[in-house]
Amino acid sequence: MPAFLLPDLGEGLTEAEIVTWRVQVGDTVTVDQGIVEVETAKALVEVPVPFGGRVTELHGKPGDVLAVGEPLVTVETVTGFAEPGVVTPAAGAGDAGDTAQSGSVLIGYGTSPGRRRRRRRTPSPAVIPAPGAADAQPAPEPVAAPADPGPAAVDGRVAVASPVIRQLARDAGVDLTTLRGSGRGGLITRQDVDAVISARSAENSSGAEPVPAVPTVSGHAGGTRIPIRGARKAVADKLSRSRREIPEATVWVDADATELLAVRAALNGAGSGPRISILALLSRFTVLALSRYPELNARIEGDEIVLSPSVHLGFAAQTDRGLVVPVVREAQGLTLEQLAVAVAGHTLRAREGRLGPAELTGGTFTVNNYGVFGVDGSAAIINHPEVAILGIGRIIERPWVVGGAIVSRHLTQLTLAFDHRVCDGGTAGGFLRFIADCVESPAKALRHL
Amino acid sequence: MLPTETPLTLLDADGRAVPSAGLDMPADDVLVALHRHMVLARRFDTQAMALTKQGRLAVYPSARGQEASEIGAVLALRRADWLFPTYRDSMAVVCRGVDPVEVLTLLRGDWHCGYDPYVHRVAPQCTPLATNAPHAVGLAHAARLKGEDSVALVMLGDGATSEGDTHAALNFAAVWQAPVVFFVQNNGYAISVPLAKQTAAPSLAHKGIGYGIPGVLVDGNDAAAVYAAVRRAVTSAAAGGGPVLIEALTYRVEAHTNADDATRYRDTAEVDGWLARDPLARLRLHLAGRGLLDESAVAGLDAEAEAQAAALRERMNTDTAADPADLCRYVYAEQTQSLHWQQRELAWELAAAEEPR
Amino acid sequence: MTAVAETGARSQVTPATVTMAAALNRALADALREDDSVLVFGEDVGTLGGVFRVTDGLAAEFGEARVFDTPLSEAGIAGTAIGMAMNGLRPVIEMQFDAFAYPAFEQITSHLAKMHNRTRGRVALPVVIRIPYGGGIGGVEHHCDSSEAYYAHTAGLRVVTPATPGDAYALLRQAIECPDPVIFLEPKRRYWSKEAAVLEPGGPGLDRAVVRRAGRDVTLIAYGGTLATALEAADAAAEDGRSVEVVDLRSLSPFDDETVTASVRRTGRAVVVHEASRFCGYGAEVAARLSEQCFHYLEAPVLRVTGFDIPYPPPHLEEFHLPGVDRILDAIDSLQWQETAAKAGA
Repeated sequence: MPAFLLPDLGEGLTEAEIVTWRVQVGDTVTVDQGIVEVETAKALVEVPVPFGGRVTELHGKPGDVLAVGEPLVTVETVTGFAEPGVVTPAAGAGDAGDTAQSGSVLIGYGTSPGRRRRRRRTPSPAVIPAPGAADAQPAPEPVAAPADPGPAAVDGRVAVASPVIRQLARDAGVDLTTLRGSGRGGLITRQDVDAVISARSAENSSGAEPVPAVPTVSGHAGGTRIPIRGARKAVADKLSRSRREIPEATVWVDADATELLAVRAALNGAGSGPRISILALLSRFTVLALSRYPELNARIEGDEIVLSPSVHLGFAAQTDRGLVVPVVREAQGLTLEQLAVAVAGHTLRAREGRLGPAELTGGTFTVNNYGVFGVDGSAAIINHPEVAILGIGRIIERPWVVGGAIVSRHLTQLTLAFDHRVCDGGTAGGFLRFIADCVESPAKALRHL
Repeated sequence: MLPTETPLTLLDADGRAVPSAGLDMPADDVLVALHRHMVLARRFDTQAMALTKQGRLAVYPSARGQEASEIGAVLALRRADWLFPTYRDSMAVVCRGVDPVEVLTLLRGDWHCGYDPYVHRVAPQCTPLATNAPHAVGLAHAARLKGEDSVALVMLGDGATSEGDTHAALNFAAVWQAPVVFFVQNNGYAISVPLAKQTAAPSLAHKGIGYGIPGVLVDGNDAAAVYAAVRRAVTSAAAGGGPVLIEALTYRVEAHTNADDATRYRDTAEVDGWLARDPLARLRLHLAGRGLLDESAVAGLDAEAEAQAAALRERMNTDTAADPADLCRYVYAEQTQSLHWQQRELAWELAAAEEPR
Repeated sequence: MTAVAETGARSQVTPATVTMAAALNRALADALREDDSVLVFGEDVGTLGGVFRVTDGLAAEFGEARVFDTPLSEAGIAGTAIGMAMNGLRPVIEMQFDAFAYPAFEQITSHLAKMHNRTRGRVALPVVIRIPYGGGIGGVEHHCDSSEAYYAHTAGLRVVTPATPGDAYALLRQAIECPDPVIFLEPKRRYWSKEAAVLEPGGPGLDRAVVRRAGRDVTLIAYGGTLATALEAADAAAEDGRSVEVVDLRSLSPFDDETVTASVRRTGRAVVVHEASRFCGYGAEVAARLSEQCFHYLEAPVLRVTGFDIPYPPPHLEEFHLPGVDRILDAIDSLQWQETAAKAGA
């Protein structure tokens, strides 16, 4: 006994209100006879029943609101054979309230609520972009992977699961051609690369070599490769240029820093303010000296030596990222204390990687305290486009002659590498001597302040 | 070349024959056939509307009230001629001989065209207005090139005559002197837009002169006149007389489709006025008055119409026959590799959907 | 419907439930009210109020000189709109359905898109063309096409498509005020969708995308009719433990690189969802841009979930063609989760 379900009617309809029944239970109806008037959002609509017979049940009374797809009337067909019940294609009473449906539209059935939503989650291999290799297997067998890598490299290139992983391998110096990929078709996965990296670091930690390992010069694959990139590359380029372009000479002198240490201790006594470092003192002396020997605070442009009116003092700082040279601008205008604060601050920020471009460029002279490395002298490389670099080594006790007697003094070695195009040995020596005098007798430096 | 001031007619409102210059009253058997097909067409139309209300068709644009034009035009075609219908001309296509279920395939939503155009020489039902007009011209011209005696009749609405394709088709047809009959059913409205907003021309038939095409204005609710006018045009075109533009004045009694609310743009009084000028009643009066139709004949026709409607209901009250695998078919003469893969994607999706959760 | 505040002022009213069609209707009414140069015309937009009722009541309120029906000619509608814009008016025209706009295509691509450029900026054409597009309404042929790629590919046009009622209002208001020609694509399947929204013309700009749902693992990029589907898929994926971010493009041209690339760089995976067929579809542009701009952040190829490369199918086969939740979930599943996962505990 078929039930006639409320079909989609006018636009905007998810439901309709029964207004008037044109038939009652027991009536005989014929096909397409209008049996009920319902009200939609737009108008009053008369609904014809699609089969004939005797009405056995009316599924609502006037005023009731039925949703699309709910039974409207049940008819016992008189012909004896069951006419197929009419099911509206867009039945979906449950979702009617949520995603508003349109009802039949001017040119179509109207919107319908989403069909089956989720099914068992076996991913469709067919969603993978069209394969290059022919696939002889019928659906739904898995299809060939898009890049069809195969176990062997193609012209040295292997298939890696993603650019990110390829980069990961590159950064870690992993040779992809030596890997067996565990992904489909031999695809190299992140796990494959990670495995190599962690295996290698396990080896390294058991060995004596510090990280990063010095690349071995070996002719076969298997030596550690550390790419020169980023900051390291920038420094390498600059140093190479310095060596290429600058005809460099070096002068050095041993200096008695005993008094310097005493002055430093006095300066840093209790309650005295920001800590004054050796580097700060050296920097202050340097600024003084450069005012006397301005040709060392210059750069070469073409055929000209261009003297810089300001001293933008760079100092070498060692960080996790490598060598960094922060620049204290207008150092000539800073007191010793201000210089010390600037140097300390820049160093801290350098270690944290927070220096901006203004603090990393534009230097006119560089000071280098390599004594922290435990060495005495250094034929330092000039920081192009500067023309000189001053270095100070360890301050350690050594035998010295004072007043004809051998005594133990705190000695240090000062080194000046200079661009011989801008000055000769006299200037360089004079500069260095001046610095050395300041170091040996800081009090005398007061004359020049 | 200009149309007459008043529409040509052969039957007055009461079904009495009136003389008409240039139009010959069809023979008795033709008149009887016109009537029979109009009865069947109206019953078909009503049934289709009911099926739509029951959700068996996505949409049904009714031609109720236009039976005389629909049937009169089609019966005037010869076997070898071609019909270019629009989405509203289901009656005409059924009358031409296409299986009603196939005719309704488009509107049911199983496929875009349910029949083989070559079997009954009916082009697929055309939705974008007036785009079928150039097709008709091309096909007719090709027939001439091939030496075939075949005339193309393209159906247009009043709204369609505003589209650029109508202009192009009329012009090409005239320049080529192609054997085309442009049959414009002016039913008063293009959805909601009335004729007054569609054109400022004295009549749509007047548009022919601009192309050098004779325009004919005919009473579209007079089946005899429609038949005679189309017959004359077909004969003339077939003999090399070139294209003809016929405007049949009629009225779209129902709304644009089942989901349109016509009360928004026209009065029921206007509709009632046209209902009173029922083309079917008019012809019936004439036939009855001439003793060509009696009550038992009418009863017989009604029974025949009912039987056809019942058969249609039974066939339409089944679930859809649309096959998802058809989606990637017929796009090209030979399925491309890419579409082959997409078909497999689809097959996989369908299979996966069948799996138990 | 509660009153909406004046243009520009931040509304203080509470959100009211409104359908997209009603929101569009309100936007047109407000625009007509606030700017005398705005006109609305097309087929059946006047007396009838539009086949989807989007222009309901406008002719009665503003008169037939400003809201009117035209003869049945899309080329005529577009061409005359261009002429009106040249003479200082702001036409908001309608193409009744996506596929019926093709006769107007010449006017749109050869003139509407090019006029500003060929006159070196002297002639601006602030025309808005409203076009209902997309499927999902069981419509017979030609009524469910998605032509956005043709318009997006045409330099000089802005192409915009709202996915929510609130956006429908805001984007249409902004489009009408925009000096450039705008193709305003309305996802007809969402005309009846409802949202509790305050209708105001502000909000993200005409050229901005919006993250509708934040997530960590993968970015779904959708627009118009597929946004709701993408959100459904995101909810379903959450049940599998995947955190899905959903971006609503809103503007197809110009493309909001900033918002989309920021999202994909965060998640490393992207899936574009659109109804239109895949080959040379809009998703291809998105995939190419993401490949260019996010290459090094990608854990998997950018996938497109789309309709098949076929003419839009008949109503009874529509559901198999349109991208649904399952097809989106399948795509998400195939984004190389296994191949790019770090070893457990690593």
